Amino acid sequence: MSINIHVQHEDFDLAAEYTELRSQTSKIGAVVTFTGLVRDFERLQDDPTSGRNLHRLTLQHYPGMTERLIAEIVDEAVQRWPAFGVTVIHRVGCLRPNEQIVFVGVTSEHRENAFKIAEFVMDYLKTKATFWKQVDLNGQQQWIQPKQSDTEAAAKWTEDSDE
Amino acid sequence: MSMINLLFFGRLGDLAQDVNHSITYDGQLRTPEQLVHQLEVAHSKLVAALREPQVLVSVNKIIVKWDHPLCDGDEIAFLPPVTGG
Repeated sequence: MSINIHVQHEDFDLAAEYTELRSQTSKIGAVVTFTGLVRDFERLQDDPTSGRNLHRLTLQHYPGMTERLIAEIVDEAVQRWPAFGVTVIHRVGCLRPNEQIVFVGVTSEHRENAFKIAEFVMDYLKTKATFWKQVDLNGQQQWIQPKQSDTEAAAKWTEDSDE
Repeated sequence: MSMINLLFFGRLGDLAQDVNHSITYDGQLRTPEQLVHQLEVAHSKLVAALREPQVLVSVNKIIVKWDHPLCDGDEIAFLPPVTGG
């Protein structure tokens, strides 16, 4: 079992991460990767009907705590569904539209566990890990508020935990 | 020197710009809730934001209850709802 967690300013290379994941053991039958990108459009909290072009996004985090929380999320996931390897990379600092922001890669014997782990880790990453996004919408700075849909996505794992 | 360090994240950081982030631990200050109460007069907007129900508090990077006992050298962080991923 190989778990790698990185919180970093630098961009990451999807192909390199994939190659590293699949090289860990020849027992791997499935590799699932998810990559999140910065959107160029964000709805304003005080006016959700109108969107604004996003100029840049700044990600703040709590060093030390963030890495530990992500490790706890991954530990819980691999206890639920067996896997060979999990890599989580989350970028921080100043990011522009279309840049890569988050990577989750999972290897397992069959695809079901890898899909489940990737989705579980992403859902909890959004609702538990200590990251905060601030957007610059054409000069207007605004801290992003949590989305109800993200809270609901994470809540589903407590409802059908034996699935 | 007995000190407690305070960290404010997200929008709480904007509201806490003129708060002293390093305060003397005098033994009187026993919990994060008491600390917030102490800030109330000078920083009412910040305190209102800190008391929103979704705000969490951690001591030495572990999330705790608001009546958690504080010790000399603790790092207290106030955490608004997270928005990573």
